[in-house]
Amino acid sequence: MAVKKDYKDQKLSEKLRDRKYYIPDSNPEFIKDVEKIGQTAAHMCYQCGTCTGSCPSAPRSSYRIRLFMRKSILGLEEEILTDPDLWLCTTCYSCTDRCPRDLAPTDAIMAMRNLAFKRDIIPRNFLQTVQLIYKSGHGVPNNDANRAARKRLGLDEEPETTHKYPEYLPGIRKILDHYRLKENADRILAQGE
Amino acid sequence: MSKNKHQYAFFLGCIAPNRYPGIEAAAIQTSKNVGIDLLPLKGASCCPAPGAFGSIDLNVWYAMAARNVVLAEQMGMDIALVCNGCYKSIWEVNHKLKHNDELRDGVNEVLKEIDMEFKGTADVWHLAELYYDPEIVGVKKLADSVKRPLTGAKVAVHYGCHLMKPSKERHFGDTENPMWMEELVAALGAEPVQYRNKMQCCGAGGGVRGYDITHALDITNEKLINMEEVGVDAVTEVCPFCQLQFDRGQIEIKEKFGVEHGIPVLHYNELLGLAQGMSPDDLALDLHAIDVEPFLKKIL
Repeated sequence: MAVKKDYKDQKLSEKLRDRKYYIPDSNPEFIKDVEKIGQTAAHMCYQCGTCTGSCPSAPRSSYRIRLFMRKSILGLEEEILTDPDLWLCTTCYSCTDRCPRDLAPTDAIMAMRNLAFKRDIIPRNFLQTVQLIYKSGHGVPNNDANRAARKRLGLDEEPETTHKYPEYLPGIRKILDHYRLKENADRILAQGE
Repeated sequence: MSKNKHQYAFFLGCIAPNRYPGIEAAAIQTSKNVGIDLLPLKGASCCPAPGAFGSIDLNVWYAMAARNVVLAEQMGMDIALVCNGCYKSIWEVNHKLKHNDELRDGVNEVLKEIDMEFKGTADVWHLAELYYDPEIVGVKKLADSVKRPLTGAKVAVHYGCHLMKPSKERHFGDTENPMWMEELVAALGAEPVQYRNKMQCCGAGGGVRGYDITHALDITNEKLINMEEVGVDAVTEVCPFCQLQFDRGQIEIKEKFGVEHGIPVLHYNELLGLAQGMSPDDLALDLHAIDVEPFLKKIL
């Protein structure tokens, strides 16, 4: 990276350099990907911190939405995608509602998660939901205790969904297969075992 | 759009029919009592879970949610639903596809493989907003349907996140201190109470409940403490996933943090059902993890 002005004393120059701006593997395309997937102009963030101040996850963890916004602008793809805090956003949209730049930091986080998934970085519970839906159409499927309760209530044991009409499942599987989602979920989960 | 503004395709989601079926039974009965018919939406699936699917690949989320909307389009009906998470998926994807041609074309290319097409002819509503809308039901008609007023019960309202936020895309107005759900509670004769930080998230969303349950429960615990501070007999919400987090979450909080709250958790439709004279058995309230009995003693 070109530096217009610097100390001649190399040791001092090194000491003063904000390394984050000069990390050689910084990816300037990263913010563009985040903006395209998240459909929000994330580079407009001016780091006021309203987002972190509104975040229910911030007071009980090291997750800082403002930091993720800054790092994405700086192209610190590697740091972002490998940070376990990426998955602590509850997607409550408080930051998005309050952002004075009219951005959607929540959707930027969703975009970063999508980009992490493309590199097989994803917590297991997300993939287990995919498997459940592939199998039954439901992320939270029916069970025997619930069937008994439904019967008591005068409802059919199976709700009027894919549970009662499994003939709709092939269509759902076709959609998931189109994106190779089940295949990838199975593969990544098998790696972790 | 539904030709008849009092008939809707009922999108069930997962947690209501498969964990708290009393919500489903209550929604059908209580809606009928105020003149709304909920018809089965055959073959619907998970919305799919916005936190889980949206985090993995938003394109799959769009396509899967669109399939559910198309089922209602084929019936020539609008969708009504009882869950904020479902609202996020079904309402928002419907909205996005109606206003973004590129997105719609992409989704329709995939739907073509299963002989479906998103046309953009249906609207999506949360039952709570239909109850509040004076052109559909309205607070007065709701109050008139009450047979057993919930007099003397102090009820905290949990709005949840995905019904009203992000507000610039939605139509619910103020999200900092809304009061419309309090009006819905007051219509049943109960006393809605204000508590600290009432708009805070339940903690479960975005896949966090599955990813780091202690973190999720810590958020839930904070909300329960804030409710306890003002003394409530129950908390009500319009999201079965929030309900699960508050209800089963209290058992988990006791195990993990050693803190006991014992605050009954009721979906607004369950509350409405009780007020309209449904019995606790009609609502399968015994399925709740936190005993609802103390609340029932107060009102029955």
